[in-house]
Amino acid sequence: MALFAVFQTAFALALLSLRTCQSEVLDEYLPLAPQSLNVSINATLQHLRLQWIVHQLPYQELQMVFPIEISRIETSKVIWTGNYSTTVKKNQVLHWSWESELPLECATHFVRIKSIANDARFPQLNFVSNWSSWEEVPAPTPGDSQWLIFPRSKLVEEGANVTFCYNSETNHNISCYLGDELIHREQLDSNLYTFQLTNVPFINIYGITIACWENNRIDGAVLFVSKVLEEPKNFSCQTQDYKTLKCTWDPGVDTALGYNKQPSQHYTLFESISGKKKFCGQKNWCDWEISEDFPKTYNFTLTAENYLRKRTVRSVFDLTDRVHPKAPESVQFKNVGTTNATVTWKMPVLGNYVPLLCHIQLHDKETVRQEHNVSIRVNGEFLFRELQPDTEYMVRIRCIEATHLWKWSEWASQTFLTAEAAPSKALDVWRIVRSDKGLHNVALLWKPLSKFHANGKILFYNIIAQNLDKKSELKRLCIHAPANGTELTLGQGSYQIQVTANNSVGTSPASEIVISGSSENEEVEEERINGTEDGFFISWKPRSGNMTRYVVDWCAHPQSLHCDLQWKHVGPNTTSAIISSDAFRPGIRYNFRIYELSAEKTAYLVERKTGYTQELAPSDSPQVVVRNLTSHSFALSWKAYDTESQSGFIQGYYVCLKSNTTQCHPDSVRVGLPDKSTCCKHDISDPKQKTFLVKNLQPESFYEFSVSSYTSAGEGPNTTFMKVTTPDGRSYMLMQIILPVTLCVLLTAVMCYWKSQWVKEKCYPDIPDPYKSSILSLIKSKENTHLTIMNVKDCIPDAIEVIHKSEGTKAQFPGTEKLFTESDSPKPANLYLLPAEDFSGPAPCISFENFTYNASACDSDSFAHIPVPSTALPNQLGMLASPDNVENTHTNSQEEIPAGEISLNYVSQLASPMSGDKDTLLIDPPEPVLCSEYKMQMAVPSHLASPVPSEMAASLEPF
Amino acid sequence: MPLLLVLHWKHGAGSPLPFTPVNATCATRHPCHSNVMSQIRNQLAQLNGSANALFILYYTAQGEPFPNNLDKLCAPNVTDFPPFHANGTEKARLVELYRIIAYLGAALSNITQDQKLLNPNALSLHSKLSVTADVMRGLLSNVHCRLCNKYHVAHVDVAYGPDTSDKDVFQKKKLGCQLLGKYKQVIGIVTQAF
Repeated sequence: MALFAVFQTAFALALLSLRTCQSEVLDEYLPLAPQSLNVSINATLQHLRLQWIVHQLPYQELQMVFPIEISRIETSKVIWTGNYSTTVKKNQVLHWSWESELPLECATHFVRIKSIANDARFPQLNFVSNWSSWEEVPAPTPGDSQWLIFPRSKLVEEGANVTFCYNSETNHNISCYLGDELIHREQLDSNLYTFQLTNVPFINIYGITIACWENNRIDGAVLFVSKVLEEPKNFSCQTQDYKTLKCTWDPGVDTALGYNKQPSQHYTLFESISGKKKFCGQKNWCDWEISEDFPKTYNFTLTAENYLRKRTVRSVFDLTDRVHPKAPESVQFKNVGTTNATVTWKMPVLGNYVPLLCHIQLHDKETVRQEHNVSIRVNGEFLFRELQPDTEYMVRIRCIEATHLWKWSEWASQTFLTAEAAPSKALDVWRIVRSDKGLHNVALLWKPLSKFHANGKILFYNIIAQNLDKKSELKRLCIHAPANGTELTLGQGSYQIQVTANNSVGTSPASEIVISGSSENEEVEEERINGTEDGFFISWKPRSGNMTRYVVDWCAHPQSLHCDLQWKHVGPNTTSAIISSDAFRPGIRYNFRIYELSAEKTAYLVERKTGYTQELAPSDSPQVVVRNLTSHSFALSWKAYDTESQSGFIQGYYVCLKSNTTQCHPDSVRVGLPDKSTCCKHDISDPKQKTFLVKNLQPESFYEFSVSSYTSAGEGPNTTFMKVTTPDGRSYMLMQIILPVTLCVLLTAVMCYWKSQWVKEKCYPDIPDPYKSSILSLIKSKENTHLTIMNVKDCIPDAIEVIHKSEGTKAQFPGTEKLFTESDSPKPANLYLLPAEDFSGPAPCISFENFTYNASACDSDSFAHIPVPSTALPNQLGMLASPDNVENTHTNSQEEIPAGEISLNYVSQLASPMSGDKDTLLIDPPEPVLCSEYKMQMAVPSHLASPVPSEMAASLEPF
Repeated sequence: MPLLLVLHWKHGAGSPLPFTPVNATCATRHPCHSNVMSQIRNQLAQLNGSANALFILYYTAQGEPFPNNLDKLCAPNVTDFPPFHANGTEKARLVELYRIIAYLGAALSNITQDQKLLNPNALSLHSKLSVTADVMRGLLSNVHCRLCNKYHVAHVDVAYGPDTSDKDVFQKKKLGCQLLGKYKQVIGIVTQAF
């Protein structure tokens, strides 16, 4: 029993001892201490991953704190201390990661951990464990001995700080570069160097190379810099059919990197109420299925994630608030008329016939014409009124859930065309009337109806012209569209012209205009007006009270062939108008005519206006002609200048005269020219003056001049200077004299030549040639072959009386011989000429001497004696005697006998029965009658009588 | 080509293996052209003519520090590169050429694949690499034909370069540059030998 007691005591002591021991162990090794600590390296992320467990949690979960210490190289060099707080569950394996700034490959790390139970729910469980033993994490052994720098490739975010390290026991002379930039080096330990890059930029998705040199070795590492992941923006969800929620967001920048270093961020949708999660395959949208018993409220969290970061956004909403209807369908039209149309449409079924509000817009080509709101369920219908005929409209419809008004559907649109109607407005008609030979040529013009008034496509225009004097006279014309005018030729009298426009439905109201029988009053004076860039302000005075309105017309393009007539109607109480047009151009003259339109639709011209919106300098200069050029002046003149084509009202002309003189005329000014020369400028301020006299010039001088016009806007172009040289004064005068004299002489010569025969006959008729006389042959053949020609000696001369008036001496007949022998008496010329030895003897003939007759003898027509010109005499006598003798003798005989003192009275022994006409003599010779024939005046020796040389005959021919 | 690399990758890769004995059965799909040797020479000349340009394109595309440190980064220090003896018999030279081209073909395939990831914009480099690989395939076929028809060599054991799939980016760039440097050097010698 004692043994049992001892055994029992011993057992109790042992048990006590065991309990005491157990208590101590429990105190020392509580199961709440972290156990099974395992540390690993994630080289890619440069993370130290810690993994541990907490055994035998007294509760299902416990809030705990785990202090952690990390040392580098040796345990005493703690580089990081921190706490990891978490709620620990039973049998849970705890994980925690620490990112090392220094590449883990460069140094050994040590980690230890302890735990603190600090849960407010279990205040009695206030427990702090001891530190675990240091867990050594050796640096990874490089696979290649050549590697110098770590990490080999690293993924960081833009703007991060990056540390590269180099661990070498042999070589400490190393330097690293990023591009050309040397990276700062820092020595952490005897063999450990670090290179710090701060705020690294994003350069490209393919990485940037860090190159390190160690003597002759080069190594490098590639740094992959990622863009910072952005938070998704505009995250929202909506449904179009209560079956699917479509969530959309703006993903922001893509953070993908090349070489598979980092893919694009991915998105996850998590609904916290249902606890469902969905990985979104798309980068900016995700579908979420709505269950049949869909909850009213959704709480979505969208998470964007890449290797480096997570971003989340939330959205909480009621499903009914996020109904976005689909676009309306089956938009159609019915009962489309000229002004009405009905549109119908259908909405895709949206749940349990959700009420919808639809917005309808009616557009024409220009703008929105009508807008309406209509409440519907599924099918919609709306009637449009007050539409325009023949107009294409577009209808747009969109709808919105009527209760919460979350978002409008997309527009659905459709077009329709209303039916045509008859034109609703009369044409605006105007005319141009030109009267010609009693006919009116009427150019009838009209403005096309606007689409608003045409109510359809205008097909043609009907024109009816009725003679108001003869009502039955009608002219009908049909002009096909799109013409906007036609030409009519109307007879005398007044005509009423009606014009209507026609489309496929009907006719427009008629537009009337009356062409008056009287011609248009063209004598209305034209008045100048000044326009502006905006147009012309035109005012006029009313002419009569019986008018309905005014019409102003003008040519939009006055310088072109088709002037493009424009007109404007002005009310009867208005006497002014502003005419503006985009066609108006500076430098173009526009002519306006203002008409009164009477109640009878007849137009009367009231006023004319002309002007420019802006005057410009003349575009060309007049064509100048030089006239009346003298040694001291010349005149300039230019043709009537075409002022209509000018770009401004011509106000005058400038005459610019260049000369060598330095002085200008007082009424001109000296101006400089572009070629640095000068000229004297005369201003002709009267535009009607088209001549200019340049005077006070020097003879034989060179001048240059130009003429240019000017307007209010300036002077016209400086044309090329014309050159003038003034002539010499004396030669000019000589020319003045010589020219008329020469002309007179020429005229006289021509006259003389023209009347030469007459003059010859009158002044020096032909002397008959004795050798050619027919009497010779008669004598030869019948009487004496030796007889050739009458010799002076053979003749019994008639008595010649020489009467000396002064002395009163009278020659006595018949003392003829005495007379010839007297030396102091004047002797007849033939006395010297006829040689005595050739005298063949007297003949019973009557002859007369051939004296050079005095004036009275020449004029004796009864004998038809032809006077011998004094110049012809020597030639005629040359064969017979010395010309000198002859001439002298003959001259002396004339000179020695003064006409006033001596007169010769020729007393013929025989009166010739024939006239003196030689031709008559030759043609009709007289019958040979002895001693009664006409004898040759000269006797020729027989040896000279025959034959007459041809030369001589030719020389004598004119006689 | 990666499959080929994997299939041939085994322990001891890098050392050339002996070719088939002379009396082995040899068969080719098509008969060799009579001027196959001429074609081989032409193909070698073509490769030799473009090797330097390919080398330049490669190191230029890698960026710094490669272009300015060719001697350090692109020196032809390629381990296990098949040897070539220019003074050997034609048969021996053809066998060695076969090994070299097979080695280079596999390496070029890896380089091309890497460069398409590392330098996706270097299109001219990609094109040049592809053309070179194509010519090498043709050359390999001709050499095989010649060996088979004339020397009855049906099979030649070949070796490939080390697996670079686990190498980091810089190492891949560097190894590629070294290989192309070696290729430029060897192809000149081989071309002269034929």
